[in-house]
Amino acid sequence: MEKTASYRFDLTRYAWVRRLLTSRWPQFILRAITLAGFVLVILTGFIGSPVGSRNFAVMFVWIAWWSALKLIMLPFGGRAWCSICPIPMPGEWLQQGWLVKPGGKKFNLGLRWPRRLRNTWLQSAGFAAIGLFSALTLTTPVVTAWIFVGLIIVAVVVSVVFEQRSFCRYLCPMGGFIGLYSTMAPLELRPQPDLTLVEKGAAVREWPRGCPWINNPAALKANANCGLCLECLRTETGANMTLNVRSFDAELGQPGAFRLDEAFLSLGLLGSVMIYSAVFQGPWGALKNAALYAGSPAWWGFAAFFLLASFGLLPALLAGASALVRRTGNLGKPLRMVFTRFSRALLPLGLLSWIAFTVSFAFGKMAYLWPVLSDPFGWGWNLFGTAAVEWQPYLLSATPVIEAVLLVAGLIWSGRTILKTAEQLGVRGERRWAAAPVLLFALAGTLTMLWLLIG
Amino acid sequence: MTLPKFISALAKPILGLTLAVLALTAPLSLPPTQPVERYFRVEASQFAYSPGVLQVNPGDQVTIDLVATDVVHGIYIDSYELQASADPGQTARLTFTADQAGLFRFRCLVPCGQLHPFMLGKLQVGPNLLFLRAVLLSLVGLLLVLWKKPLPIASI
Amino acid sequence: MEKLAKSLVAVLILLVAAVPLLGQQITAQPETIELRARMPENGGWSQEFIYGQVNVPIKLRMTSDDVVHSFALGQSSRPSVEIFPGKFSETELTFDQAGEYTFYCTRWCGANHWRMRGTIVIEGPAAAAQPTSVPPLFLQLGLDLDAPHLAQIIPPNRPDTARARGRTNALPDGLTVGDTIWSKSPEALWKDLKADEALDDQEVWDMVAWGLSLQGSPGWLAQGRELFTQNCLACHGESGKGDGVMVRDLPPMNHDKMGSEATRPPDFSDPAVLLGASPALLEGKIIRGGMGTGMPYWGNIFTSEQIRSLVLYLYSFQIELEERP
Repeated sequence: MEKTASYRFDLTRYAWVRRLLTSRWPQFILRAITLAGFVLVILTGFIGSPVGSRNFAVMFVWIAWWSALKLIMLPFGGRAWCSICPIPMPGEWLQQGWLVKPGGKKFNLGLRWPRRLRNTWLQSAGFAAIGLFSALTLTTPVVTAWIFVGLIIVAVVVSVVFEQRSFCRYLCPMGGFIGLYSTMAPLELRPQPDLTLVEKGAAVREWPRGCPWINNPAALKANANCGLCLECLRTETGANMTLNVRSFDAELGQPGAFRLDEAFLSLGLLGSVMIYSAVFQGPWGALKNAALYAGSPAWWGFAAFFLLASFGLLPALLAGASALVRRTGNLGKPLRMVFTRFSRALLPLGLLSWIAFTVSFAFGKMAYLWPVLSDPFGWGWNLFGTAAVEWQPYLLSATPVIEAVLLVAGLIWSGRTILKTAEQLGVRGERRWAAAPVLLFALAGTLTMLWLLIG
Repeated sequence: MTLPKFISALAKPILGLTLAVLALTAPLSLPPTQPVERYFRVEASQFAYSPGVLQVNPGDQVTIDLVATDVVHGIYIDSYELQASADPGQTARLTFTADQAGLFRFRCLVPCGQLHPFMLGKLQVGPNLLFLRAVLLSLVGLLLVLWKKPLPIASI
Repeated sequence: MEKLAKSLVAVLILLVAAVPLLGQQITAQPETIELRARMPENGGWSQEFIYGQVNVPIKLRMTSDDVVHSFALGQSSRPSVEIFPGKFSETELTFDQAGEYTFYCTRWCGANHWRMRGTIVIEGPAAAAQPTSVPPLFLQLGLDLDAPHLAQIIPPNRPDTARARGRTNALPDGLTVGDTIWSKSPEALWKDLKADEALDDQEVWDMVAWGLSLQGSPGWLAQGRELFTQNCLACHGESGKGDGVMVRDLPPMNHDKMGSEATRPPDFSDPAVLLGASPALLEGKIIRGGMGTGMPYWGNIFTSEQIRSLVLYLYSFQIELEERP
């Protein structure tokens, strides 16, 4: 394997960038605004129109935010959303007693998160739960509002009982999704590459409040668990940390460990996007109704299928493919390692499938946003004169082509990563064909998505 | 020696691009079929069209009878920009010539409940060329990923 | 600094909370009644009763929470008002007489659509000497609406008004008195005429057709068709066979046990069904409804003239009727 230095550019080399990030104010103001938006979503969800397409809560969260997250924030900024997410803010305020200037009375037990749960299993479960109720949540304002109220209560309780941002790191249902795919984001927070061991040790000791995301910033190598909260930049040794722009492949192109829970999350997310595509973009009405009427026998069938396909069938298929690669490639590595590494190599296909799904979804529904902007509660207001804008799909003929290109790009990116991974696992260059079973898995995934979205 | 190396470095992107362009522009169209008349009775209920997939050939004369079976539903065919709406019991009819080839979604145009924005079906006119090209492109992509040896030209 | 941050958060949240509260105050129209329409399964009209005063306008602001509905007043020629989900329709009603008025939904909104009915109660000085309304004929005659009424005699061909008019230009006496025709089934009329006139079977049937044709007021055919299409077709079916989209999963009607269970409506394409039913009987069924069969009552929805047109239109499933030139 040819070792090419990945492209990285340190943004914090400019003093003004560093100042902008070191000050808590810009980030705080953004979070205060998103918190207000969050309150507005809860309010509109409870007291606004029960018609989803006329309610700010549903439209803003599931069309505007959800699309912007998957089309812009996640692929280009990784955990950029986590950086300005308002959900942990009230809890943090209680926990540390301050918002922008350390001090004040703490209100928190500061327990460590249970060791057995220091992984993404709960996040997988949360994301799957959102998937199981997605048809209901996406269309019912009051359900969206309740979910948000629930999230904020859980976040507050967890912040008071446990240390730091345990909620974000181990529990937030979006956290697993965003964290895993932020591996491919061209933005990272990292220690200076030339830190000496002594400096690293000093850095760790001198963090006044530690890393809120419970990392050791001086040893940060991966994006997944770094919430871009930027607190490490604000410490006395903050100069040791840099915010870099990097190539998309910078992290994924390098060998990286992947736990079993992350492997299942990776495949679960791939399965979820297929089922989302089938439910929301497919012509199968029975499937839509099964997904909508939570609690009905059909819904139980849908739930069983969702979970079995995403967290059972796909992992089983990939495990089978991994076993084949292991045998034909004469790999000495354990199957579990082969399986998890290949799950990691499938991340690009998963991310681009989500983006393609969002493209198919967002432009068709975007026109619902304009009336809601003028009439957030669906009470017949017309604040900006857009209340009567009729629905129409945008970019109708372009979106299928964009979706196809995105999916093929995902396949190529995953394919390259699969081959690299195979090499890292010990498959010699001229026996690359040994990786074919996993490549076929990726191809099958791509063709399924193509069929669901444009077939 | 620098030139061949330069060429060999470029060989893969060039080959890839050529194959990709081929996959995207290869004349895939089948021989034109004799236009026929097609009739579909499409039943619309919350939140499904039945049948949900309509298959015709380019040039066919298509008649769609839309029958609403529970509440008022509508139909809007993307790109064709045809629309109709039907009250239960009152059939609405769309008649048109399938003069645009490809895959088009049709959607409910009358708010009919929670999943109304996702109530859709597909009208496929002729083979779905975009899908076929995308499949070809996927195969080309995989081939390129696997292909690593420089072209023979490099060793000249 | 810290204080500034905390107050900023508080101000922003208060601002957001104030928007709906203030907005509601500003846009509130106290004299307007908000009426929400929902599918009957989800609660139907948000208000079943609306109260008002004589000659005081009632302002309604209506919206739907789910599907397309429509607001109309019973026994009124007032055009109905469409109600779309998430949009608002406004209308104003004024009544010049005290009493109870029915409002109802005119767009099919599910199998229980017809249950979407409510009452407007208008209070005021008792109306001055209302003309005593004549009870409908089926009550005067004391008809048993649920008794079997299949015709035994079936015409050889479809009875045709034009054919009868082509043959003669005078109607027999039995076919000129309105109430006589209205109280007798076509089959009974046929029997009466057949006894009196020296005509063959088909010629008598054509005469019956002509007689019925003369019963409608101008425009009855179009009116009857429109009423049937809007209100009846979803159950009775486009061909009148009783196979409409709302009832096609029900068992077919059993004519011996009418009204005892939910079945499909009768098959109007079967001559025995309509030719054995008198206009008064059909009128009674429309006014009273099906009593347990799922057929709604229309007495306080349609005017008597509308019901007449509808009854005559029903016969056109079996008889070639025409409007008076």
